[in-house]
Amino acid sequence: MKRFDCLKVLAPMITDELMVVGLGATAQEWHALKPREANLFIIAMGYNTPVGVGLALGLPHRRVVVLDTDGSMLLNPGALVTVAVERPPNLTVVVFDNQAYERGGGLPTATARGADLAALARGAGIRHAERVRSVRAFHRAVAAALKRRQPSVVVARVERGGEKVPWRQTDGLEDKYRFARYVERTEGRRILALPEQ
Amino acid sequence: MDRQAGPRAILEGLKAAGITLIATLPDENLTELLKLVEADRESIHVPLCREEEGIGICAGATLVGKKTAIIMQNGGFLNSCNALTTTALQFQIPLLLLIYYAGDIGDRGFATVGTVTEPVLHALGIRTYLLRRMEEIKETVHQAQVLAWDANRPVALLLTKDVLGTRG
Repeated sequence: MKRFDCLKVLAPMITDELMVVGLGATAQEWHALKPREANLFIIAMGYNTPVGVGLALGLPHRRVVVLDTDGSMLLNPGALVTVAVERPPNLTVVVFDNQAYERGGGLPTATARGADLAALARGAGIRHAERVRSVRAFHRAVAAALKRRQPSVVVARVERGGEKVPWRQTDGLEDKYRFARYVERTEGRRILALPEQ
Repeated sequence: MDRQAGPRAILEGLKAAGITLIATLPDENLTELLKLVEADRESIHVPLCREEEGIGICAGATLVGKKTAIIMQNGGFLNSCNALTTTALQFQIPLLLLIYYAGDIGDRGFATVGTVTEPVLHALGIRTYLLRRMEEIKETVHQAQVLAWDANRPVALLLTKDVLGTRG
């Protein structure tokens, strides 16, 4: 299964969800398919899911979707425990597991040697955590997750490699401002400090 | 002496600053403060597994309009340096760091972590204030948050045993 094919079926399911789209090629592919102000790009390895937890706790009436990766999740697996403990009902975490540190040179991650991130999530206490291996199963799992009033984790086992897409032309700080202004506008609340008058 | 007076003043400062999401990881010296945070119904308390995830959680909450703080030991601050660098500093996220100062003068133990704490904060360019006197607590906590907000950066307060009520 290709990550890009998963993202293609995800795109029509997304409307006004806030998304943490994280790292490297995943972020670029998603941006190419679904450029939108509600995509937050600013995150470094290990912090995608924690940032999603922060968004979900801060805006409990708004759905939050995180696109995470195997290497990132393995760096900070305690994040799954915090999802289980805080239980944000509006949070869906999608983990694209390509079994490699692809951006980091291509060597295998622990999931190539049997580590199971969905089982880790369940062990942490997240009831709805499953591993999917086909685009059809991915579609079904994410559609169910987006309707559920409980946190969900979908671990998608994907091939290495990605789609050649045009890279976005903005930097992370610019994206942060755009995201925050979008939330200010759609939620009617002030997020960034006003300059001194 | 009322051992809860300092922790109460810290929480009052956090409230005066409008902070409504507080991520924490325990230390023996933070126990009274964390009990007050947990009991407070007006703010969201997020207990952490590791301090660096707290930086991510606070960053996310900040970007949807919350004012946030993280309470941790200085050993935990050292755990969170990568998150502070790649998330809070790089993307200019205001965040209040309340750091218990293990290895402070007069302590037995933790001298090594105490020795590196302030140099590492300075290396990260994080403005740092040391809290030792009870009467300065509430106002300094509030003002530190104002600075973080104005500068779009983390600001650190070092909490000594004197203000946590655990000296002697």
